[in-house]
Amino acid sequence: MAKVLPDIFIDSNLPAYEHLLELDNLKVYFDTQDGIVKAVDGVSFTLNAGQTLGVVGESGSGKSVTAMSILGLVPMPPGRFADGDIRFKGQSLLAMKDKDMQVIRGNHIAMIFQDPLSSLNPVYRVGKQVGEGLVIHRGLTATQAVAKAVELLDMVGIPNPEQRVRDYPHQFSGGMRQRAMIAMALACEPEILIADEPTTALDVTIQAQIIELMQELQKKHGTAIIMITHDLGVVADMADNILVMYAGKPVEYGTTNQIFYSPLHPYTWGLMRSIPKRTLDNDQPLTPIKGNPPSLIDLPAGCAFSERCPYVQQHCRDEEPMMRLVSDDHYSSCFFSHDGEFLLNSPIYDTTEEVAAGALDTGTLADAGALDTGTLADTGELADADDSNYQSGGRDG
Amino acid sequence: MQFVPVFIGVTLLLFAMRAIVPGDPIRMIAGEKSIPETTYRIIVERNHLDQPIYIQYGYYMGDLFHGDFGHSYQKGRDVIEIFADKFPSTASLALGAILIEIVVGISAGVISAVKKYSFIDMLLTLSTSILVSMPVFWLGMLLQSIFGIWLKNLTGGAISLPISGSGGPISAYPTFLHYILPSVTLASVSLAFTARIMRSQLLEVLSQDYIRTAYAKGLSKRDVILKHALKNAMIPVITFIGIDFGTMMSGAILTESVFSWPGVGREIYLAIIQRDWPIVMGGVVIIVIIVMTINLLIDISYALFDPRIRYGSKKAD
Repeated sequence: MAKVLPDIFIDSNLPAYEHLLELDNLKVYFDTQDGIVKAVDGVSFTLNAGQTLGVVGESGSGKSVTAMSILGLVPMPPGRFADGDIRFKGQSLLAMKDKDMQVIRGNHIAMIFQDPLSSLNPVYRVGKQVGEGLVIHRGLTATQAVAKAVELLDMVGIPNPEQRVRDYPHQFSGGMRQRAMIAMALACEPEILIADEPTTALDVTIQAQIIELMQELQKKHGTAIIMITHDLGVVADMADNILVMYAGKPVEYGTTNQIFYSPLHPYTWGLMRSIPKRTLDNDQPLTPIKGNPPSLIDLPAGCAFSERCPYVQQHCRDEEPMMRLVSDDHYSSCFFSHDGEFLLNSPIYDTTEEVAAGALDTGTLADAGALDTGTLADTGELADADDSNYQSGGRDG
Repeated sequence: MQFVPVFIGVTLLLFAMRAIVPGDPIRMIAGEKSIPETTYRIIVERNHLDQPIYIQYGYYMGDLFHGDFGHSYQKGRDVIEIFADKFPSTASLALGAILIEIVVGISAGVISAVKKYSFIDMLLTLSTSILVSMPVFWLGMLLQSIFGIWLKNLTGGAISLPISGSGGPISAYPTFLHYILPSVTLASVSLAFTARIMRSQLLEVLSQDYIRTAYAKGLSKRDVILKHALKNAMIPVITFIGIDFGTMMSGAILTESVFSWPGVGREIYLAIIQRDWPIVMGGVVIIVIIVMTINLLIDISYALFDPRIRYGSKKAD
């Protein structure tokens, strides 16, 4: 029944590649009546097998469009790839035909979304939806796929999977739906899982469970994860590297340790100041970032963050900063990231665990120990080749 | 159980109308000629027409309760017998029309939605707008003159579609060709509506998150639309087509009159002209029964399309 397309990603057929996934100066623009919306404007990062990349930013910072671009799910028109490339195992996804992209989607790169209820088709049983990928990509029959769906639901911790597989999405609770989404995404054992705010629509306690589940499954299957969130706390515990985005542009990129212990960009500082902290006095208010993100059609001339930045200088308004290397594999787009005195403004947290605990406030993440030094030391490896990614002219600072 | 109040309401309304409408049904039996006074009195008494209207209503409902739909003034036959004769014509015409409506209407709607804002979408939108605003009887006559007369004359009779009523004897069982023009006419307006509802529903569904999920799974566009989107978009379309089918089954008075189609609608139309009340009454009663049965079936069919609508479901959530 199901036609299985020839697998164009059998490793032996591929030229050598350095990273599992590479985004190279990706620009995704939307042509609208009001003008060009630069939703993603020059984003670069790399992802290796088994690693987790956190992509952090406010609403409208281009995180989701970046994620959708990787799977080729950006509606075109009005969207278009203005520049750059996305390479999966060294192959350009942008140059790929739609038929070949269908082989990638769900099979090599899977995605889960923010609202698990609206992301599941209300008229089909959960089992059918979870197993559907196996029918398309592995040529299973519908019955075999449902049998496999039972295993998958069991794997993501849904009780009574034999019965639950026959349920419809509306009969599941919110947390169970997201578990089912994860089961669906992992059905074909993809190399990359993109999670677009997977916990935003869930209760705080359920959020922690889902994150734990994702970490557990990542360890088991070695899946690389791109975790998109507006919540630094979510990625603190999970990510190897973090990319901070603002108004469609990357503003800071580094290892999780670097981002949390020595953040360079005032926007990252702002994000950190808006996380509730356990050690703060109760009467000490959080410090939100003032103002709203700029319109992506009409960005300020210089730094996109200049209008909201408390440390803004005239230079910031005149010239657009580029991502530049500040220290080992740590990039920032702020003009002043090299200035030691300027960096004294940074809010310094004691530990990343504290941020995680403060944001989720469950305590489970803090002692999960996932962020021990071992994990972070590993991440040093990935960054070796990163220098070439941000070939902005401004390394001289 | 909305059946009972609707039924009583409809029959009461009919009796009220028959009291207002001028014309003596009994005198009309004889047409131009006059009826002897004694015969007239006998017929009037036999049909309780000398009684006050509410007594007549009582008699009628009593008979109905016993399964007696009454007796035609003019034809001297039982009403139920007359409709049993006419119903197959109407039902087959309705079936033909509904098939056209489903196939053409749904496909046009799907194509429009998938190729949103394309040339073909605009063409379909334009033609459905024209169809919607075209009166059925006028379209019927137009088709008759084009295919039955104009094309026939132009090609010396080589191209012509036989139309019942346009000359020549009408066979009791029309051949397949006889169905084409009446079914197209009957389907026209509803077809256009079906296409429009289908288009808007599908567009709405295609913007849903679960469609994105389906794409993210690696489904082709075709599978996403046919397997994931269509089933979700169907309920309003089914509702419309179902109600429409009920209307068609109860006789399309305009279409049947234009094409002299020997169906229920035309029978009722003729009976109204002749003030043959038992046929009008019986016809409407039968229509009410058919429409309400079909509505019930539509309601039940919702559950097939949307599991969130399951009646008396065991699992409460």
